[in-house]
Amino acid sequence: MKKERKAKFQVSNMKSGLTSARAAEILARDGPNALTPPKSTPEIIKFLKQMVGGFSILLWVGALLCWIAFGIQVAQGVASAFDNLYLGVVLALVVILTGIFAYYQEAKSTNIMASFSKMIPQQALVIRDGEKREVSAEQLVVGDMVEIKGGDRIPADIRLIFAQGCKVDNSSLTGESEPQSRSCDFTHENPLETKNIAFYSTTCLEGTATGMVINTGDQTIIGRIASLASGVGNEKTPIAIEIEHFVHIVAGVAVSIGVLFFIIAVSMKYKVLDSIIFLIGIIVANVPEGLLATVTVSLSLTAKRMAKKNCLVKNLEAVETLGSTSIICSDKTGTLTQNRMTVAHLWFDDQIYSADTSEEQTTQSFDQSSQSWAALSKVVTLCNRAEFKPGQENVPIMKRVVVGDASETALLKFAEVILGDVMGIRKRNRKLAEIPFNSTNKFQLSIHETEDPNDKRFLMVMKGAPERILERCSTIMINGEEQPLDRERAEAFQTAYMELGGLGERVLGFCHLYLPEDEFPDTYPFDTDSMNFPTSNLCFVGLLSMIDPPRSTVPDAVSKCRSAGIKVIMVTGDHPITAKAIAKSVGIISANSETVEDIAKRLNVPVEQVNKEDARAAVINGMELKDMTTEQLDEILINHSEIVFARTSPQQKLIIVEGCQRQDAVVAVTGDGVNDSPALKKADIGIAMGIAGSDAAKNAADMILLDDNFASIVTGVEEGRLIFDNLKKTIAYTLTKNIAELCPFLIYIIASVPLPIGTITILFIDLGTDIIPSVALAYEKAESDIMNRRPRHKKKDRLVNEQLAVYSYLQIGIIQSIGAFLAYFTVYAEQGWLPNTLLGLRVNWEDDYYNDIEDSYGQEWTRYQRTYLQWTGYTAFFVSITIQQVADLIIRKTRRNSIFQQGLLRNKVIWVGIVSQIAIALILSYGLGSVTALNFTPLRVQYWFVAMPYAILIWVYDEIRKLFIRQYPGSWWDKNMYY
Amino acid sequence: MSKEEKKPFSQTMAEWRQFVYNPRSGEFLGRTAKSWGLILLFYLVFYGFLAALFTFTMWVMLQTLSGDIPKYRDRIRSPGLMISPKPVTALEFYFNKSDSQSYAEYVSTLKQFLKSYDDSKQSKNIACTAGKLFEQNEDRAIKQACQFNRTKLGSCSGVEDDTFGYAKGTPCVLVKMNRIIGLKPEGEPHIECLPKEEGKVQITYFPDGGMIDLMYFPYYGKKLHADYLQPLVAVQLAIISNRTKEEVTIECKIMGSPNLKNEDDRDKFLGRISFKIQMSE
Repeated sequence: MKKERKAKFQVSNMKSGLTSARAAEILARDGPNALTPPKSTPEIIKFLKQMVGGFSILLWVGALLCWIAFGIQVAQGVASAFDNLYLGVVLALVVILTGIFAYYQEAKSTNIMASFSKMIPQQALVIRDGEKREVSAEQLVVGDMVEIKGGDRIPADIRLIFAQGCKVDNSSLTGESEPQSRSCDFTHENPLETKNIAFYSTTCLEGTATGMVINTGDQTIIGRIASLASGVGNEKTPIAIEIEHFVHIVAGVAVSIGVLFFIIAVSMKYKVLDSIIFLIGIIVANVPEGLLATVTVSLSLTAKRMAKKNCLVKNLEAVETLGSTSIICSDKTGTLTQNRMTVAHLWFDDQIYSADTSEEQTTQSFDQSSQSWAALSKVVTLCNRAEFKPGQENVPIMKRVVVGDASETALLKFAEVILGDVMGIRKRNRKLAEIPFNSTNKFQLSIHETEDPNDKRFLMVMKGAPERILERCSTIMINGEEQPLDRERAEAFQTAYMELGGLGERVLGFCHLYLPEDEFPDTYPFDTDSMNFPTSNLCFVGLLSMIDPPRSTVPDAVSKCRSAGIKVIMVTGDHPITAKAIAKSVGIISANSETVEDIAKRLNVPVEQVNKEDARAAVINGMELKDMTTEQLDEILINHSEIVFARTSPQQKLIIVEGCQRQDAVVAVTGDGVNDSPALKKADIGIAMGIAGSDAAKNAADMILLDDNFASIVTGVEEGRLIFDNLKKTIAYTLTKNIAELCPFLIYIIASVPLPIGTITILFIDLGTDIIPSVALAYEKAESDIMNRRPRHKKKDRLVNEQLAVYSYLQIGIIQSIGAFLAYFTVYAEQGWLPNTLLGLRVNWEDDYYNDIEDSYGQEWTRYQRTYLQWTGYTAFFVSITIQQVADLIIRKTRRNSIFQQGLLRNKVIWVGIVSQIAIALILSYGLGSVTALNFTPLRVQYWFVAMPYAILIWVYDEIRKLFIRQYPGSWWDKNMYY
Repeated sequence: MSKEEKKPFSQTMAEWRQFVYNPRSGEFLGRTAKSWGLILLFYLVFYGFLAALFTFTMWVMLQTLSGDIPKYRDRIRSPGLMISPKPVTALEFYFNKSDSQSYAEYVSTLKQFLKSYDDSKQSKNIACTAGKLFEQNEDRAIKQACQFNRTKLGSCSGVEDDTFGYAKGTPCVLVKMNRIIGLKPEGEPHIECLPKEEGKVQITYFPDGGMIDLMYFPYYGKKLHADYLQPLVAVQLAIISNRTKEEVTIECKIMGSPNLKNEDDRDKFLGRISFKIQMSE
């Protein structure tokens, strides 16, 4: 590898770079500098999968049977043979169209993702043909000379040739959160360790560098990791499992009823061909053709709603997964916290003050009257190299961009909020000399003129690690007075320092010294190398502590999770103390919980003697985790409800996720780094950060959190739970009328009456009148606070459970069938065919040459006259189902509450659904009643109302059901009737 | 979620057995006997109620109907035509005039059909005024029927020739118009039959001209008009043929009445009928 690089090195002239021609040549050879997206299934395979998934197989069988029947009938010369041909074609069309629809929906949600990753085209500054130019990063080739500076993303793997103060953030690659310095020195054999290589997709934090591209695209280190991540298998989403389960139930019912009645028909001496035709009818009646499309639409509606709340869902099914989540493993930095250092506490005048750490602070309210504060604020303001980028006067202080490191930024903003115009103060107190912070000194120092024209003294200000600062002080400022730093005061300092450190905060000490005028006159030449000024016997002014504070919405979100039965586990690379402090402040560790260590400390016993089960909380160090067996990890996950994993590497995240999944939990994991991608893939729902996240993480994730905010996950959970409830309602609604479609066939076979409803008519219900209402149920509001119940149990709380199927099929479905049969018998009776005449009539009724069948009144009917009457029957049956489906729709709005508690008007889409349902029925009956192929006829107005009593019965019965469920929770009724 | 592991077959079987009967909890198919009892009782009550409700609503619906005439007759505005005898399969007659077995079915059907037209059965019927609709008073509970004597069917009446011409190669086919309550034909309705191939068949109508007399209308329904006999037209076909096997298609239509349709696109039997006859010797 090294040699190869050398060879390439010679190709490029370091000053003038590659020639454009050469670059083009290499580009043609190596391909563009971009990661190949993970291998996706070919579009045609995806399409074909849609064609055979779900109920499609069943419908294909139906279509095939139709064509076989057609073939046989044509051979026998039966006049009506073509009906079967058409029906077969219609069934095939239904499968193909719903398949295309599902495919389109899926493609659309994939496209959202594609557009997302293309949003920021990356540019790179490259030297070619001896001049610098901006090119798209994709155009980079091996051997190109590129320049990078602070803030840039590294456009490829680069070997540095020149570097000045260059630091990179490799966290997305290695998980190290500390910035890494980069130089031209070759320091290690391992490319990951050596200092002279900067990696593709990491960021340059500060400094500048020039380097030569050594790897591009998939050849880069990140590219290799990304292709590894795609090897981790994707789990089936819970909703996919639920839908599969549901398809199995329905298909099982369809096939068994179909086969059962096929056998019954054959043994009743029906012709085999007729029996096959019955079988087709039973299959068509049983399969809710429109349902899967409805589910897809409902899910994508929710996905849209979630996107508005900053959860961008890549995979539609993940919408519901979030709802069934029982454990969230969350990152700390940026997700739970604001991802910026902020001053949290101050210590001066022997007292600790708290500062406001919220996102939008404009003032600080602690007592600022003390003279000590005046001195401290001066040190904070002056002893600071960070500066606001110019031109941000109108931006709120907290949002301004600052050049400088995190702590200095925090101090600058803190000072700006309280004092205002920090840059002005600095200008008035001109800086004469400065020693920047370095790791050996552990302090930073600067010398200033004072702004008081009468005071000719120079002010020396210093900040740094508190213990180092204290060492250099002999006095301490109390209420503006310099007082000797005796033991008592030093102890007070120690206590304060420990306390702030114990909060997980980064503490800085501040001191100053007014240099005496006589020793240091105006012209005194300060020399920072020889340090020709005093650096001891200073006056200690105070302490400031900083922390990356939690986002203000997070504590609320965590407590919501808690009441929703979701366990929140913090997984962070940070120090355990900081992690624990943040966990406590956001409520991941609740106020009165203790860890094993806490108990040991309180009882003053060794850690080993503490009963582990007494401790609700646990803070696990990454080092401990490394040595744990899976059983030990399981034990921790089971025994402790509040867990923080600190100092963990991204690889350990995967171990934690797997541990949670062993507890049968549905695990959501947040992540942003490339190394998080295996964990994101492994998790039931991987959540990538939209702002901080790397492309690899976004690729591996199921969902992208656009604002990186933990609270958005919780709103997502709420939506996910709601859609699960609403899908239940949709399915219950859809399944009900299947019985009303199925019964006609059963009665037709057993009682030999004229067919009450045709196969085509059934399709008009399933794919016509019922579609919009069932989608409308997706807009239904939650019945009660869905965030107050436990997450559903993956294996026990099914989408379609026994109660739902039984209540829909055997109760409401049967009422609907009876109502529709009443309409059917009414139509026939009023035209002269009394019910008793109809029984056993089928064979003669369907005889094409029997054209003088006598009705109950002695009139004689031709075949066509009978057929037309039969179609009128179909239409009446259809209209009755539609009318009763309106009642069904209204009752499905709630599963437990009364319809009046839920409100009839709150979900307006339901009314759109009802209107559409009736409008479609009207159009079919009156508008298309003359189209023979559709088998509809214009219906007498009164037939629309025949099933009305049954529609009312459905509604009343369901209200009673719900009333009993509410009145007698846990009773036999509740157990058997609540779905 | 851990990968789903394949369960061994014996375990699956054991689980099934457990499901069918669980000796520990006494559960049979997932429910205890008490639970089954309750659920069955519930459904008994539930379906019992539904059955009662269905019966009641059906009864209410039937109460709104009259026993005499159906509520609506809009699906049968115009009558269809039908023939007797009706061959078992499609409307195709096959017979051998020298083999009486081949047409025995037709002959017996005709005899059976014409039995109700026997004079002995028509004693109650009255002789009506020919050429005029025989409308009867509303308040008359039992409507009277007009006589239709078999003799009107001439040589097809079966009185002289009890093979209805089949033995002679001149088969008779009765054409009748479907009964429709209240139907009042206008004009002078008569049956007209045409062979598809001209000149192959000589057609004789009984009564003359295939006339259907208006006095047989209107019909008042099975209950009020129990003795009603619908008018018939017999068509005797003399097949002129040199060959032994000749298939002829005959189409009969009702003509001469403006309110009886005979050319509907979809209904091939509305006011018309076509049938095939193949006679061999």
